[in-house]
Amino acid sequence: MPSINVVRLDGSVDSVAVDPEGTLMEAIRDAGCDELLALCGGCLSCATCHVHIDPAFADRLPPMSEDEDGLLDMVDNRSPHSRLSCQLRLDDSCEGMRVTLVEVG
Amino acid sequence: MEQQAQDTERDYFTDLSVLRDPYEYFESIRERGGVFRSTLRNLVVVTGFEESVEVLRNTEDFSSANAPQGPAVPLPFTPEGDNITDQIEAHRGEFLGGDLLVAYDGQQHKFSRSILNKLFTPSRLKANEEFIQSYSAQLIDEMVAKGGCELINEVATPFVTLVIADLLGVPADDREHFREVIDNAPPPGNMEADAPPSFDENSPLVVMGTYFFQYVMDRRENPREDILSELSNATYPDGSTPDALEIVRLATFLFGAGQDTSAKLLGNSIRRLAEDHALQDELRADPRLIPAFIEEVLRMEGSTKMTARLAVRDTSIAGLPVAAGTPVMIAVAAANRDPKRWENPEAFDMQRPRLREHLAFGRGAHTCAGAPLARVEVRILLEHLLAKTSRISLDEAHHGPQGARELDYEPSFIIRGLSKLHLVLAP
Repeated sequence: MPSINVVRLDGSVDSVAVDPEGTLMEAIRDAGCDELLALCGGCLSCATCHVHIDPAFADRLPPMSEDEDGLLDMVDNRSPHSRLSCQLRLDDSCEGMRVTLVEVG
Repeated sequence: MEQQAQDTERDYFTDLSVLRDPYEYFESIRERGGVFRSTLRNLVVVTGFEESVEVLRNTEDFSSANAPQGPAVPLPFTPEGDNITDQIEAHRGEFLGGDLLVAYDGQQHKFSRSILNKLFTPSRLKANEEFIQSYSAQLIDEMVAKGGCELINEVATPFVTLVIADLLGVPADDREHFREVIDNAPPPGNMEADAPPSFDENSPLVVMGTYFFQYVMDRRENPREDILSELSNATYPDGSTPDALEIVRLATFLFGAGQDTSAKLLGNSIRRLAEDHALQDELRADPRLIPAFIEEVLRMEGSTKMTARLAVRDTSIAGLPVAAGTPVMIAVAAANRDPKRWENPEAFDMQRPRLREHLAFGRGAHTCAGAPLARVEVRILLEHLLAKTSRISLDEAHHGPQGARELDYEPSFIIRGLSKLHLVLAP
């Protein structure tokens, strides 16, 4: 079970263990990071679980679907490192990855 | 003080004045704090927005096992000790609806939810939008041509039933039968039941379950391009294949869950429009406002009034100690009007900042998976209804004059929705 470093909106960093059978969104949410709204509960419809991913780890993540891409087009602060955390399952190769939470626009 | 509050407290689960106006009732208990202990039914009541979010997000300390039956039905066991996880699982089958997705906890929930989460994606909904558009147009044209309708039974229920049937791939021949079974059943959280509720052989979930079993077996043999095939052949995150019966339970639940709540949301939305002609004109002039209109209806009059949780271990809500085994009632309808969260909460305002954060679809792990579908359904039907009418009004022959309206709400402590809505539609 990889541990990642979650950069909260206030700049503090939490170490969060990610169950490989759950999603990154679920791990961050269940760790009590309340600013990750994840309003739709993970059904790929709201883009409020938007995070920025450590570029060094980008190639270890599942590819982005057209639906995810389309939803990210609707957020204010999309970057080349944007992903929806509800779409990501992580394996041990992601140990130590930095994930930055993003203000909902 | 506590004694006095107890004497004057109305019983949310049986009092029909609460059914007629739950919002007035929730305001009457709000002064007791965002979370308080009710001695009447020996449960903890949450009316605050922040407090509700806290409980809904805390799946470590709170089980959903009692969500379908509600917090007032006695537990099937006597809680013992400071952690009742094992007791809940040992007695899960004795909770009414304890084997429904909304009642699942932990990994079982995570796994089933992972399958559902792929079903109502934007591309999937887009693919089905053509059917939703054409069926909405057909229904609305028919109703406008005859000058009016009873919206709930003539439009809302068949509409949401056929939309989910089309989406899932239910054969046309079976759809009408399903509708009859659903129409004849009491709503969930029925307040009129004189006997304890149960799932007998005539309950919609049981009847539909037998059909869905055949579909799932068929789709495992002969996969097609429909959601039932996708569901039937889905795997869990660990790569294992779900038991066919589990898929049957999920599909049946999806079909059942998509009915009442979406149909009632249509009723609540259109009742508001019929009572506010200026609002109608505003939306007619600019249909792009319809999504914000729907969100504000969801906040003010979403079709779910409350949900329930059960404290798994000794814990607390906003500092109030809650012992293991305590049922918790989360009054989402009250949270959605909490003045600490919503400025001027009784005003209908489509421009509210961060409006979509309302709790009409819940929050956290159990957030309604059908919300994206409900939003599309209501938006499209409203677009057609507004485009094809110059005026939508309540039929005073059935609902009485303005100021003395007679509106019948489904006798449910969970669902907020009209049983009938008679409309006059001017082309």
